[in-house]
This record gives sequence, structure tokens and C-alpha cells, in this order.
Amino acid sequence: MNNARTLGKLHLAWLSLLALTLLGGFIGEMWNSGLWVSVTVALIMAIKARLVIDHFMELGDAHPAIRGLVRFFALFFPLLVVVTYLFGDQIAQLTGL
Amino acid sequence: MVEKAEVVDNPRIPGNRAMWVGIYAELTEFALMFLVYFAARSHHPDAFRDGPQQLSILAGITNTLVMVTSSYFVARALFAIRAGRNQTCMRWLAAAFVTGMAYPLVKFFEVRWNVAHGVDGSSGDVFQMTYYYLTFNHLVHVSWGLLGMAWVMFRTWTGAYSVQQHHGLEAFASYWHATDLIWLMIFPLVYVLN
Repeated sequence: MNNARTLGKLHLAWLSLLALTLLGGFIGEMWNSGLWVSVTVALIMAIKARLVIDHFMELGDAHPAIRGLVRFFALFFPLLVVVTYLFGDQIAQLTGL
Repeated sequence: MVEKAEVVDNPRIPGNRAMWVGIYAELTEFALMFLVYFAARSHHPDAFRDGPQQLSILAGITNTLVMVTSSYFVARALFAIRAGRNQTCMRWLAAAFVTGMAYPLVKFFEVRWNVAHGVDGSSGDVFQMTYYYLTFNHLVHVSWGLLGMAWVMFRTWTGAYSVQQHHGLEAFASYWHATDLIWLMIFPLVYVLN
């Protein structure tokens, strides 16, 4: 029963990933990147990553060092999408040669 | 039934430590490339706003669907081996392999389309250079993953994995899902955000 429930969650995760991929593509084609598009795209990135981490990689009960690092990776870069939109000029100044 | 204290004292390492050293290296490699992407985007906002429109969104979406579906099939293979259904595991791995092979095929047609439309990196366009180094590096990792998938398919076929012992398959699955995860970051950065 537990296995059936977990398999059900796996199916749902896959279908969600397919749907979110199509949504992301649709957003990219229809709208230019303003703040809310950047926030939406970042959110979709983070949700998709979390679906893979939790249901494909099954890191929920994995070693904290593994779980923490992968979740950080999946959260940091979507966040950077929004940070770059808001503070692009400052990032350019900080990273200039 | 596993006691909570036992799980806390012996946290699970999916697959084996060696594979996770490799995955850490992969994540670090792409983390550095992503940081360069964001720095480049900050320095050249116009190039990165116009850049995605040069690319084939169809190729990007197709490869994303390919990667998540292949990952799903690998996850199904792991479920099967845990239930002791070796032949079912083999069938899911075969499905994952056939699906995964679509990725380099789509990439081939995508690059051919790119070159025909002047997206060949020769103009010094910073977006094009960023797009190529991210996606070609990812293609290398997918290729390694496909070789690894062929290996675990062989191991499954020879009966090397069982309900009690399938760490090798689990280790491979972790690598493949990590490679999928990286693509889920790349896709919006180069194909969507314009």
C-alpha cells in the first residue's frame, strides 16, 4: 500500500514536470522578462527541481549533507534569477575586471 | 520497521559514496558556470534579453521533456528492482535508454538549425558563447550518463542486482537525476528568460 502511494506520487511528479515544462515554454514565448515573469520562471525552476529531488532522487531521508547541498543548489539559482533582475547593475559592478 | 533513531544514526546514502563525490563535482562544475552566466547576464543585459529568441524553443522543450521522462523511467526501474521484478526493471531501463538517446539526437538537429540561422558563436555574441558552453558541457554529462545506463542495463540483464543489493543501479539513478536537475536549471536560463 505504501509502495502504491509512493508510486502514485512518482506518476504525479512526472506529469507535473511535463506540465510545468510546457508552461515555462509558453511563458517564454508570450512575455518578455519583467519582474513578475522572472519571479514566475524562478518559481517554476524551483518547483521542478524540488519534484526531482523529492520524488526521483528520493532525498527526503538521505544523509543531511547530500539532501542539504542538492536542495541548496535547486533553490540558490532560481533565487539568483530574481536577484539578477533586481540588482543586475550592482552585480555587474561587483564582477567587473 | 526502521526506528527513527536508527535512520538518524545511519542516514541513507543513495547508491554509494563514490557516485556522490562525482555528483558533487558535477554540481560544483555547473554552479561555477551558472555564476559566470549570471555575471555575463548582468554585464550584457541586452544580449541576454535578445538571446533566447535566436534559439529553437521547440528543441529546448523537447529535450526537457526527454530528460524528465527518461528520469521517470529510471525511477520506475528502481521501483521494479526493489520489488524483485528484474525483467520489469530491464524494460524500464530500456525505455529510459531509448528516451535518453533522443537527447543527443535533438541536440544534433538543434545545432544544425542554429548554424543555418547564424547562431554559431562566431560573432563573439556573449549569449551564444554562454549558451554553447552550458549546453555542450551538459551534453557531455548526458553522454556519460547514457554509457552508464548501458552498463547498468547489462548488469541487470546478468542478474547482478537483487532486492537486497542494487546499490549500483541506485548510484546510477542518482547521477542521471542530477544531470536532469542541471538541465532543469539550464532550460529556463537560455531558452525562456528573454
